Amino acid sequence: MSFLKYKNYIYPLFVAISSAIIIVFGLIEATDIRGLYFLAGVYVWLLIFGCWKTCLRVLPVLVIAGGAFYGIGYLASRNHAFALAMVTRFFAVVIAVIPGMSIEPTAITRNLSQLKVPRVVTLGVLIMYSFVPVLRAEIKRVREAMKTRGAGSILNPKIFYRAFLIPLVTRIVDISDILALSIETRGFTLGKTKYTVYKKEYINVFDVLFILGIIAGVVLTVVL
Amino acid sequence: MEEEKKDNVPNESVLADLLIDNIKSIDQEKEAVADIAQTARVSENTKPQSVSDTRKEQAVSLEKNNKLFQKYKIKDIVFLAIITACTLVTGVVMPFVSGVQVFGIIQICLGLQFSILPVIGMMKVRKPGALLLQSIFISIFLAFMFTPMVSIIACALVAEAVALLIFRGYKNDWACVVAGTLYMPLTLPVLILLYNVFPSISKGKDAEQMFMAGSTNAGVAIGISVAVVAICFVGAVIGMIIMRELKKAGKLKE
Repeated sequence: MSFLKYKNYIYPLFVAISSAIIIVFGLIEATDIRGLYFLAGVYVWLLIFGCWKTCLRVLPVLVIAGGAFYGIGYLASRNHAFALAMVTRFFAVVIAVIPGMSIEPTAITRNLSQLKVPRVVTLGVLIMYSFVPVLRAEIKRVREAMKTRGAGSILNPKIFYRAFLIPLVTRIVDISDILALSIETRGFTLGKTKYTVYKKEYINVFDVLFILGIIAGVVLTVVL
Repeated sequence: MEEEKKDNVPNESVLADLLIDNIKSIDQEKEAVADIAQTARVSENTKPQSVSDTRKEQAVSLEKNNKLFQKYKIKDIVFLAIITACTLVTGVVMPFVSGVQVFGIIQICLGLQFSILPVIGMMKVRKPGALLLQSIFISIFLAFMFTPMVSIIACALVAEAVALLIFRGYKNDWACVVAGTLYMPLTLPVLILLYNVFPSISKGKDAEQMFMAGSTNAGVAIGISVAVVAICFVGAVIGMIIMRELKKAGKLKE
């Protein structure tokens, strides 16, 4: 029954496959207007298949940066086709990112564990995902400390190195030591120990439809 | 009188120096005892050892102490994952520059951060495969975002192989610098394939046009490649300097 049940995210492995198809085909067809049509179709397809939040979040970036790319491209070459190719390339990269941004990090880790990917990799991926917000907070903290000390502008390479980079790396080393201890205390090992994946990721009818739609888009763009 | 007493009491730094001296002297004594024991063992051995035998033994003991492939611990994986997260965060400019059809623009924009941070990772972990692991972690994200950069795994493999062939491990700081310098520039040929060769095949262009599209001529391509290598070398050296400074400050625990 889970095969027919609606879910609001795509099967993680299919996300990777769809990203690869979108970016490779988008770049191949960048010099042709059909590439732009293909990407527009993919955008709509992603809106339908549970990525609407990310699609809307990315829309201003697509419009503003896409416009800027077109402007720069046209000014540099005085050629409409060249500018359009630049925009298509940019769209291909950004639209390929959308499915990846819409998926939960834990879903990726679960999927990798299910696929019997070594523990070293799944553990690393999980730490990487969870560390990004921590890193953001640490950068903010170091910047605030710089302001408090009156260290000067971060744009000065010497100040950047001494007052920003060194404290940040020191902090990262400290955090990694504490995190490693914490993980070891919780009983994580890198050996071949048995483990259970509580929430398994299954391929759904919507996942199959999604990937088939992307492939159909590629075929239609080539044929028509 | 009290002041005189205070002067006679050694302060903390003097005590620390004394303690270090004591530890050093204990270590020296231990070494001396070990030397004596070794000499005794050699003299007890009735059969005189040939030069080749002793060399073999030395090689075996060196191999045991200096094993090229060492087992990874959780703390190594954690540090590499964290440093890769930093690399990923600093690489957010990639989608914006990847649309610009200038040969090597991605490598020029990302070269510095993609050499500083991996070198930091390698200098902390110092085990073969450190760069490869970092590239695997980052490529799992890039598979979902910018798939062609997954080729970074192959680049890491080649960079590590070169560094390990030259230096036989990461004990030497310059081994990390070499690997860090080669890491990013090796992605240049892969991205040429993606940006120029594949689209050109579909348009039926000839070989020269395929490889040189986006760069005016071979000279420009070579110039940009040299610039990328230079940027990555500078980044790798900065990474090494940072880690040396942290080591000096006692922040790097083995």
